[in-house]
Amino acid sequence: MLGPDITWYLVVSAILFSVGALGVLLRRSPLIVLLSVEIMLNGANLALIAFSRLHGESDGQVFAITVMAVAASEVVVGLGLIVAMSRRNLALDVDRLNSLRG
Amino acid sequence: MTSVYASWITLLSPLAAAVAITLGGTAISRRAAGVVATTGTSVAFAAAVVAFIDILGEDPERRSHLDTAWTWLGAGKFDAGLAILVDPLSIFMMLVVSGVGSLIVGYSIGYMDGDDEERRYFAYMALFVFSMLLLVQGGNLLLLLAGWGLVGLSSYLLIGFHHERPSAIAAAKKAFIMNAFGDATFALALFLLIAHTGSVSFGALEEVTGAGSTVTNLIALGLLGGAVAKSAQLPLHTWLPDAMEGPTPVSALIHAATMVTAGVYLIVRLHSIFEAADVVQDFAAILGAATLLVAGLIALVQTDIKRVIAYSTMSQIGYMFVGVGLGAYANGMFHLLTHAFFKALLFLAAGVIIHALAGEQDMRRMGGLRRLMPFTYWCFLIGSLALVGIPPFAGFFSKDSILAASLDRGTLGAILVVVGLAGTFLTGAYTFRMLYLVFHGSRSAYATEHHLDDGHEGPLTMLVPVGALAVLSVIGGWIQFAPFWTPVSDFLAPVAEPLAEASNWMEVVASVAAVALGLAGILVAWAIYDARRWRAPRWTAARRALEEKLYWDRLYDRIFYSPAVWLARATLRWFERPVIAGSAVGIGVGARESGEIASEVQTGYLRAYALALAAGLAILVLVFVSVR
Repeated sequence: MLGPDITWYLVVSAILFSVGALGVLLRRSPLIVLLSVEIMLNGANLALIAFSRLHGESDGQVFAITVMAVAASEVVVGLGLIVAMSRRNLALDVDRLNSLRG
Repeated sequence: MTSVYASWITLLSPLAAAVAITLGGTAISRRAAGVVATTGTSVAFAAAVVAFIDILGEDPERRSHLDTAWTWLGAGKFDAGLAILVDPLSIFMMLVVSGVGSLIVGYSIGYMDGDDEERRYFAYMALFVFSMLLLVQGGNLLLLLAGWGLVGLSSYLLIGFHHERPSAIAAAKKAFIMNAFGDATFALALFLLIAHTGSVSFGALEEVTGAGSTVTNLIALGLLGGAVAKSAQLPLHTWLPDAMEGPTPVSALIHAATMVTAGVYLIVRLHSIFEAADVVQDFAAILGAATLLVAGLIALVQTDIKRVIAYSTMSQIGYMFVGVGLGAYANGMFHLLTHAFFKALLFLAAGVIIHALAGEQDMRRMGGLRRLMPFTYWCFLIGSLALVGIPPFAGFFSKDSILAASLDRGTLGAILVVVGLAGTFLTGAYTFRMLYLVFHGSRSAYATEHHLDDGHEGPLTMLVPVGALAVLSVIGGWIQFAPFWTPVSDFLAPVAEPLAEASNWMEVVASVAAVALGLAGILVAWAIYDARRWRAPRWTAARRALEEKLYWDRLYDRIFYSPAVWLARATLRWFERPVIAGSAVGIGVGARESGEIASEVQTGYLRAYALALAAGLAILVLVFVSVR
């Protein structure tokens, strides 16, 4: 089997996921939040492909491609929202979009 | 079969009159409503006469016809048809109800003239007559009960006719509730009967086996409860005096033709079950005796002319109960007939007086009316003499024959005869106290002031029925003069074989004693209220007790009314408000408050939601990793 051990892939995947999660939790700009979500998704993709190679099956790769397609759609929606916000001169700050407070 | 068809006409023509007046509404004049009602009841009477003549031509043993129009209530083996029973007893009652009833309805045309709601009045009157006819003609116990209930309803409607007077409403409710109590015991008896025989036909009563068994006694007791309530006997009598709130012709109808005689009819019609439960039958006689005495005593101190007559009705129905309770069925029914004549006469004559005195009913404000209203005076005198039982007036023949037949029934009969004779003395005293207070003495200031002196005593529609009833009160008793001729007893004997037969000496003893005591009562009343030789005895305590009607109303108030009110208040306070009303409010408030608490979680911050998601995921992962 070529390349490093599976553990290394998973560690990188976990780091990517955690960095993305921290970005979602800590950053207030919707653009950065969207980027962070992409990083999380790619962390997950990495884990899927790593396991796929480990088991020598292509299921994980199919899943990864599906995730990419979903991510692309998500970005379209998310960027659309952000464009709509800036058009209406709303502050680009997710903490100020709190009108759903109970 | 002519008798059967005629009986159907008798039953349905008052109903048709009631329906016609109701549907006609304002399209017919008020006077026309009265004419329609009178026509309806008169047609009923004419048809009853036809049925009577027809049935006389039949074999005396085969005079009972049960005619079923259709089955209107069938369930499995049980079925009850819309059937009428035509036999001597029902024809006898049909004649009394429709005959006296049509006289009273005709009288109402004059009495109610000018009232705002004449149409309603006459529709009710016709309905009342129909209800009573259904009661006496019903071919099975279910129809009898239906008529029984309808009589209660019509009396409620008519007693409360002056619905703008609170006292009239109260009296109507009282009558209805008292009667509903009787209806309930009646219905319970029917349930027992259906449970045991699966039928509500009159014949089923004879199938209840075991004379004196518990079931027999309970059925008879339930039926007696209905009879006692409807006939205003002790202890369910308190509605009758209050029922005087209705217009005077209504009182006459209730007392003479319909309603109160229903109990007597019931015992005669269902005599087989009462004979099987002889304890209950004796009890009926004892209740009747107690009632005639109590009512006679109370009547001595009443000041309202209609109330005196009302108590006299209770007392006379008491005599009938004694008669039918001791098994002298025909004698009881004969007294029912003569009583219908003279009681209707007394009420209608009292109505003429009240009408002439602008609605005044208090005897203390009357007096000296003999000169003003001679015709009414003579009619009232005839009615009073008939009530006391002075020969040759109607009451003499019937009341004395009840007392005579009672002598044939051993110790109990003898005791009841003594009570009945005491009642005769009281009857003489209170009746003539009323007569002297109203007609004799000097003319009262009120009478002088209010009497409308327009040359006659009232409209002809009022005076003609009064005159007709006066004639009947004189000659009506001569129909039967035991032991010389007894057509009434012979006519009714196939329906109800009498248990008591008076011998000649009994007739003589009873008649002499009753007439002597009646005259003594009249003499006492004359000495106190006309000649003023004696003064009315003071006896303050006794007088108070009688004026309070022997505290029956207060007793019921204490036993039933007050606890019910207390219970209602208590449940309102301790259950209704905190539990029923409180729970509805509590559920609403609770939901709102818990929602407010839960809504704290909804901060609106996106990252708070994301953190919650991440934390949840972390917890799940930890759980999966640690729990293996």
